[in-house]
Order: sequence, then structure tokens, then C-alpha cells
Amino acid sequence: MRFVRYLQHWLSGTGARLQVTDFVPVMHPIRQWADTFPWAALVRAIEQSFDTRFPTQSPRGRRPVPIRVLLALELLKHALGGSDEEICQRLRTDFAVMYACGLREYQVNPAQAHFVLPETLCEFRRRIDEALMDELIAIQAATAMEEGLVSPAQLVIDTLPSEQGSQRVTDATTLYKAQKKR
Amino acid sequence: MRGFGRSCRGHGQVFVKLVRQTAHQLLALGEPIQTFGLQAQERLAHTIPLSEAQHQRLSLALTTAMSHHEHIRKQSQRLTSGKKLSHCKVVNAYDPTIAPMIKGKSNCPAQFGRKPGIASDPASGFLFANLVPQGNPSDPSYVLPLIDKVQSAIERVHTAPQHRMHSVAGELGLNDPALRQALHERGILTVGIPKTIAPIAVHPSAQDILDILNEAGLHRIRTPHHVHLACASGYSRPVVESHIASLLSRGAGQVRYKGLEGAVVQQGMTVMAHNGAVLVRIRHKQLSKRAQKFRRLLGLKSPKVNEINHQRN
Repeated sequence: MRFVRYLQHWLSGTGARLQVTDFVPVMHPIRQWADTFPWAALVRAIEQSFDTRFPTQSPRGRRPVPIRVLLALELLKHALGGSDEEICQRLRTDFAVMYACGLREYQVNPAQAHFVLPETLCEFRRRIDEALMDELIAIQAATAMEEGLVSPAQLVIDTLPSEQGSQRVTDATTLYKAQKKR
Repeated sequence: MRGFGRSCRGHGQVFVKLVRQTAHQLLALGEPIQTFGLQAQERLAHTIPLSEAQHQRLSLALTTAMSHHEHIRKQSQRLTSGKKLSHCKVVNAYDPTIAPMIKGKSNCPAQFGRKPGIASDPASGFLFANLVPQGNPSDPSYVLPLIDKVQSAIERVHTAPQHRMHSVAGELGLNDPALRQALHERGILTVGIPKTIAPIAVHPSAQDILDILNEAGLHRIRTPHHVHLACASGYSRPVVESHIASLLSRGAGQVRYKGLEGAVVQQGMTVMAHNGAVLVRIRHKQLSKRAQKFRRLLGLKSPKVNEINHQRN
């Protein structure tokens, strides 16, 4: 009976919420990485930009996925080198990813924040423009400078090649990878 | 040789020579299009039965078609030899915002894509700004926009003392007198940009320092200490390569998002993810001896890790 009560939040969505921080140790790489970002300032900048460029037409409809979650997923995708599908899948099962997305409690409930579709991430990305991207990097740099961690006194400027291309996942690609592994 | 197409559909490899020949024929065939376009515009202007709205709509459509033709024509003429493309990679050679990266490569495979610029801290590898331009512009054209972006980041800092840029380093490709002049006007030393292939003196003499300050016209703005630091940090290819390698490991080597806007978002997110990893390393003092020495010279705080504080308390 005690065991069932313990798993109540998983089974029925009621009972005490699980604290995500209890499952992610302080020295976990994703937790340490996530703690370096000034999330509040970044989210505020994105909200301001979106409010100006994409004003809400109607207050009706389902609540959107929090920007904090989407931004963290997009950054995690590049930090971990995964795809949209992979990172959205990890959000459901990985407590470290939940921590990085700012989700501190977990309970089986219909809250949309835990269930992000790759298409939602793609839509979010499409709304980010060059000015906003520069602002986000500037906010991150300014926070690091305020904390006294970095200094722009000496700068090195260089370029790197970045090939244009897209890897389309098709049956042929899968077959090719399978043949290569064999 | 450049490989195009998918090997699952027949042999699927096309030599660039063949592509060039085909492109050449198509270009020859489309040669009179510009003349036809001008004639069509003239005739459209003299056509009376059309209403004003119809005139405008047709004129706009004709102008758009002409501009598209010009873009495709320009890109067709730029198709270059390059390395063989990997399987199933789709490259849009007719995107007007991308270009072959040929400059600085003699008889080497040239990538077809974008060339983002980065402004980084040589000690830690923290990236203060990045720039994804259209096409493949010259290297000196990256510097001032990147400096402006760093300056905007500095202006966001509200704590004292205010940070300033003392010097900029770069490869020989940045050696441009106009650029040096522009940087000196902003109070930035350019000792780190070499003028010849000879290495920069790491320990300059007092006379050399005086000469550098006089040449830059920054005698009362920058101190000999700043010149010493600028010479010591200089431009080190392995240091820059380590920053670039970190970005490439996070997927910056291939633009997967669509268009210039997509490239900007992808590179920006990669830079932010990289910066997060750099800050973790700084907080845990996982820096090279050289980086630690520079941090001391720049008067940067020693990060206090939780465990250390806990032990002290």
C-alpha cells in the first residue's frame, strides 16, 4: 500500500509533486551548464521582442509553452548535439533536462510544459530574428562581465567555414547508415 | 570533382565539368533575356488599355522575374570545384546569400556555404559576439560590426569599473590600414594584427612600446601595461582553432536551418551553448596556466565554487 502511495503521482497524477532538484545532483554537467545562463533576462528580452512583432490577437485558446522551456531546449539541442525530436523526447524522461528548462516540480498532469512537440520548437526558432539573437548573446556576455568572469579587454577576431547543407532523413539515409555500421 | 545527386538513384555522381558545361549552355541560351525584359518593360509602359493596378502588378512581376534571373545567373557563374559531397546532402547552390569560400585557398577544396565571424576572449574562449554575413565578404569587413556588437554588450553592464576593449588580434588577412585607423580612433590597439609573416614580439622593449603607442596615437589613452598584454596575447592560431573546434563540435560546421535567418539562429544558439560550457570551466577553474595568468593580469575575480566556500565555513 505504501508503495502504491509512493507512486501515486505517476499513476494517477495526484499526491505530492516530485522535486526535480532532488534527482539532479549539484555537480551534474547539465545542471552546472544551465546555472550559467541569466534566464530571467533572456526570457524578458524574447517576450518583449515577440510582443512587439507578434502581438496576441485574442486572449482565448490554450496556454502557450513557456518561452523559458523552448529557449532552454533550443540551447540544449546545440549543447548536446541532438535533434529536435531527441531533445523533446528527453524532456519527458530526463530530470536534468527538466531542470535546465526551469521545471522544478514534476507530477503527472496535463500541463503542456512537459510535452513539447518538435514542431513547436521549430515555430519558436522561426520567430527569432538577427536583432533578437544579438541581444541574447549580449545579455549573456554582459552577465558574465558583471560577475567578473570574463573581460573584453583582449579580443581575437576570426572566421570559420560553415558549409551549407541539410541532412535529410530518408529511407535511403537509414539504409546507408545501416550498411555502414554492418 | 564534385559529387551531386543521390547514389541510391543510379550512379548519382556528376562531375563539375559537366555541370559547368550545362550551366554554360543555359547561360548562353538565356543571354538575350535581359534585352527581352527591357523591351517588355517598354512595351508595358506604352500599353494603354491596361488599368493602373494591372500596370503596377505586371511591372512588379516582371521586375521580380528579372532580379531572380540575375541572381541565378550570378550563382551559376560561381560554381566551383570542391570536395565530394557526402551522401544525401542537399545543397542549394542558388541561394543568393551563400557563396563559395575560395579566398585564401589555393588549389584546395572550397566549401560552399557561409563564413561566420567570431570575437572571442583568447584566455578563456568566451565568445562576445558573432556575425553571419551574406556571401563571402573580405575578412577586414567583419571587424567593425563585431566590435560594435561587443560594445553594445559592454554598455549593458551596470557595475563598475566599466569594461573597455584594449586591443584586437587577428590573422594577417585583417592587415588593412583603413581598419587599423578605424580601430585606433576607437582607442583600440592593433598590435595583435601582424603586418608581415614574422611573429609578433611577445616581450617588446620600452622603445618598441613607445613606438607602438605613438603610431597608434594612443599615447595618453593606453598604457605600456596594455601594450605588454596585447603583445603577450597576440594572435595564436592554436588558441583560435580551439575556439573554432568547440563550435564545430556543437554543429556549427554545417548550417542545417534554412536561409540566412536560419544560419543566424543556428550560429547564435551554438555560441550561447559554447559560452555556457566556458563559464562552467571558469567557475571550476578548469583553465590553462596561460589563461589563469591572463586572468590575474586583467584583474578578473577568482570564481568561488560552492564546495570551497563550504569547506571554509
